This record gives sequence, structure tokens and C-alpha cells, in this order.
Amino acid sequence: MRPPSSLRQEFLKKWMMGLQRYSTSKKNMSILERKKAIKLSADVAIASARNGTTCWSRALIANGYSKDGGDDKHLVEQILGPESERLIMKKVLTGGASVCNKRMRSKKILKRSCGIQRTRKFAPQVALASSIAKRLVRKRTQILRSLIPGGEFMNDVTLIEETLDYIISLRAQVDVMRSLASASELASEP
Amino acid sequence: MEPNTGTAETRSNGTASDGDDVAALESLQFTDEIHRLISATTTNNASSFTALLELPAPEAVELLHSPESAKLMAAPAPNIEDFKASFHFPSNSGLIERAARFSLFAGVGNNNNNTSNSPETPSNNPSANPQKAVKSEPAETESSEPLVSDPTVEKRCIKRKDREKKVKGSTKKSKTAMNESSEDAEKLPYVHVRARRGQATDSHSLAERARREKINARMKLLQELVPGCSKISGTALVLDEIINHVQFLQRQVEILSMRLATVNPRIDFDLDSIFTTESGSLMDSNFPSMVMPLVWPEVQVNGNRQQYQQQWHFDALQQAVWGREEVCNNYITPENSLLSYDSSANSATLHSNQMKMEL
Repeated sequence: MRPPSSLRQEFLKKWMMGLQRYSTSKKNMSILERKKAIKLSADVAIASARNGTTCWSRALIANGYSKDGGDDKHLVEQILGPESERLIMKKVLTGGASVCNKRMRSKKILKRSCGIQRTRKFAPQVALASSIAKRLVRKRTQILRSLIPGGEFMNDVTLIEETLDYIISLRAQVDVMRSLASASELASEP
Repeated sequence: MEPNTGTAETRSNGTASDGDDVAALESLQFTDEIHRLISATTTNNASSFTALLELPAPEAVELLHSPESAKLMAAPAPNIEDFKASFHFPSNSGLIERAARFSLFAGVGNNNNNTSNSPETPSNNPSANPQKAVKSEPAETESSEPLVSDPTVEKRCIKRKDREKKVKGSTKKSKTAMNESSEDAEKLPYVHVRARRGQATDSHSLAERARREKINARMKLLQELVPGCSKISGTALVLDEIINHVQFLQRQVEILSMRLATVNPRIDFDLDSIFTTESGSLMDSNFPSMVMPLVWPEVQVNGNRQQYQQQWHFDALQQAVWGREEVCNNYITPENSLLSYDSSANSATLHSNQMKMEL
């Protein structure tokens, strides 16, 4: 389904704002640096379109923030806008990674300790279709968690919601980037 | 026609055998609710509202940002109405409740979700009407009293209260609707769950079932969103498709950022220069169709374009792109584009001016 044009417009606006930042800074960046800068500003822009309401957007912004170099911090500030940046970074830093990390770590430890007992008991049920299906689903959700930014900190329900939102935002991002790329390629042809 | 007041609770209404009357009354109430909602959320930027008008699935996603009011839209909307059928005219109370809930949410700042609900409800309710009309009658005959706090299986499931609508005797689907609708209710302490026939009633399994229903409803939304998933049955395969889709999109972003890095020695893209490049080849790309809303306020097909001629030199291009849009873009419709253009009128001029100043 097509992402709403408001989302795309907002993304384009913020992305351009972020890119402006690079024009003032160092010139003659290598191609890889440019690509990284473009991708980073695009990610932060599409994440800021959600304004800190979704987990993945906060994780993306956190990624953009924590990279080494004060450049990226300023980039985030610029894209988000000063007031909302404060709010969002508060959300990101406090409600975010550290707490969830500990929670997830303790969950994993618990699961591991329980799982050892579990497998011993239920080994004969391997052939059961439902258990196989459950195992498959669990594997898939693990993969999905690794794909969605910040997915390791979500429970199942939140994961699916975040995936929905993430897919739509990604589509908007791809649409805008593709259009810009083809337009600038055409413009620079002669 | 009867007055469409919210308190029009009448048994006579319940005999919704006359589909026409129902439909007409529904439409009156819909417009009423729409007006109410719009007035309640006028502070919203119009773009979000019109954007939300465009697609149901993204709307549902927007709704997901609010505390699970999306569930209303996901599946159970028709079923929820069954409950109210017993004592109110179905759409009335449903709409009023939702409106009340929205105004509550509006204070929390979930305005987007409120407006998104309003276009959804009219679209959902007409389809729900015939079902309502049919189902309300058996529900009515079974229940003697309207408001029921039945001796149901109470469950402190998600710390939300139920919506005090329990029609006695309605079973099966109604429970799931109840679960989800009760979850959608404002943040109140309990959810009341009725066990299905032949199923365990202890709190754990009920909680699990409610959770599973939630997950299944969201998976359905995801299936609609990802192309090619609706035919697949089975969670694992659907998840496979979703994973593939997400990976594909992420790869696309990488490739496109590489493309953009190679095309331009400078990293800041000069949108103006891209525009003023006179090339009919621009018509081939989707860029104009997307960016037009951004920089061309109030494009009218037959209207005067003289004012824009000086700025953009795109008279012919405009006409051509207009025609092209409806062909090239598979999803865009003229109404959509008009909507988006109108809504972006203000932001467009601002943005173009801003861009000009910066570059």
C-alpha cells in the first residue's frame, strides 16, 4: 500500500534539512562517506517523522546519536528541531536501551535456565506438528527482531505493531529516495 | 427521518428490518459524528487527516499508536455493534462512545488517531449495518435486559475495564470482540471475558487467548500490508514473507543511498535546480508526482497556471504530468492527489521559500 503523501513530504523536508548540514561542513567527502551521510540523515529523518512515538524510531535516532563524531549529534538536533529533540532524546536515553538491556538479559537468563529443564522433559514431543510450528514461528520472530531496529526489546505484540509502522515508513523512504535519485540522475545527464 | 440524537434509544429502532431506514439514519449519524470529530480536532494539521484518508492499512498503523484503538478497526467493528444492538440503536451508541473516547484521547494528544477513526467508522459501519440489522434481532430477543453485568468470567487481564455491554446469549465471536473492544476501552481496571463453550476458564488461558487474539489481529493487518501475503495461510510462512519484505526494503535504502552518493558530488541536493531543468524526461520519473504536492500549491487542472509559469516554467510539464500521474502511478487517484495538493498548499509555499533561501 502506498504510504501517505504527508509522510513522504515530511520525510523529504527533514531529510533535506539534514543534508544541508553536510554542505556547510567538510567538502570532498569520499563516496562511501557520502553514502553513509545520506543514509544516516535519511534514517534519522524517517524516524523523526514518528516523533518518538514508536520504539523503532527511538532506536534509529539513538543509533544516529551515538555514533562517534559530534557531527551526527548536530545532525539529529537539526532534523528533529531543538525542543522535540530534547523530548525525544529524553525518551530514548531514559526509557530506552539501558533498562531494556537489563530486562532482556535477565529474561534470557531465566529462559535459558528454564529451557534446560524443558527440553529434557519434552524431548519426545518433537514430532508434534504444533510444536514444530511453534518452533518455526519462534525462529522467525527472532529474525524479525534482529531486523527491526530496537526489536530485541519488544514483546511479540509490540513487535508486530512496530513492524507495521516500520514497513510503511520504509516504503515512504524508498519512494522518496528513488524519486530523488532518478530525478537527479536525469537532471545531471547532459 | 428520526432525529439522530445520541440518546435515541428505542426498541423500534432495533427492529432494523428496514435496511433503507437504517442506512439513511446511519449516514446522518456518520456525518454528525464526522462533524463532531472534525470540530474536536480542528487543531490538527489537515495533512495528517487527508493523509489518513488515503489508505486503511496505514491508518490502522496510525491507530496502533493510540492505546490499541486500532483493534476497533481491525476486525471486530461489526461484532461490537451486535452488543449495542440490544439496548441502543447500534451505530448511535457505538459512534457516541467512540466520539467520547476520541475526545478523551484528544487531550492526550493522539489527535491523529482520532481523526483516523472518523473516516474509518463510516466506512466500516455501512458494511456492518446489514449484519447489525440481522444480528440485532436475535440478540434482542434473547436478552431481556439491556445493560448486563452478567455473571461472566471476570478477569483482570490487561487492566482495562469492559464496556458494560454484554448481551446474554451471544457467544463465540462476540467474546473476541469483547476482549478486543474492552482492551480498546479507555484505561480502566478490568477486562471481562467470557469463556467459549468447551474451553478452559482459568485466568491464565484467558489471558493467553486474549493475547493470541491481539497478535492474530495484528498479523492480519500485516498480511494486508505486505503484498502477496493474503493468500498464504500459516503464521510461519507469513512471517517469512514479512521478513523478506523488510530485508528487501532495507536493501533498497542502501542501494538508493549509494546511487544518490554517486550521482552528485555535492551532498545537498538542489531541488530547485532539479526542477528547473527543462526536460520532458522528468515526466518519466515519479518525482514530479510526489514532489508536486510539495512545491506546487493548488494545482488545478483547468485553472490558471500563469502565476506559476514565472516561477517554475513548467506549464506544459504540469499538464503532461497531471495526465501521466493517473497512468503511471498505480495507486494514486485524482482525488487523492487533489487532496494532498490542497492540504500541502501552505506547507508547500513555505517549504519552497525556505529551500530557496537556503540554497
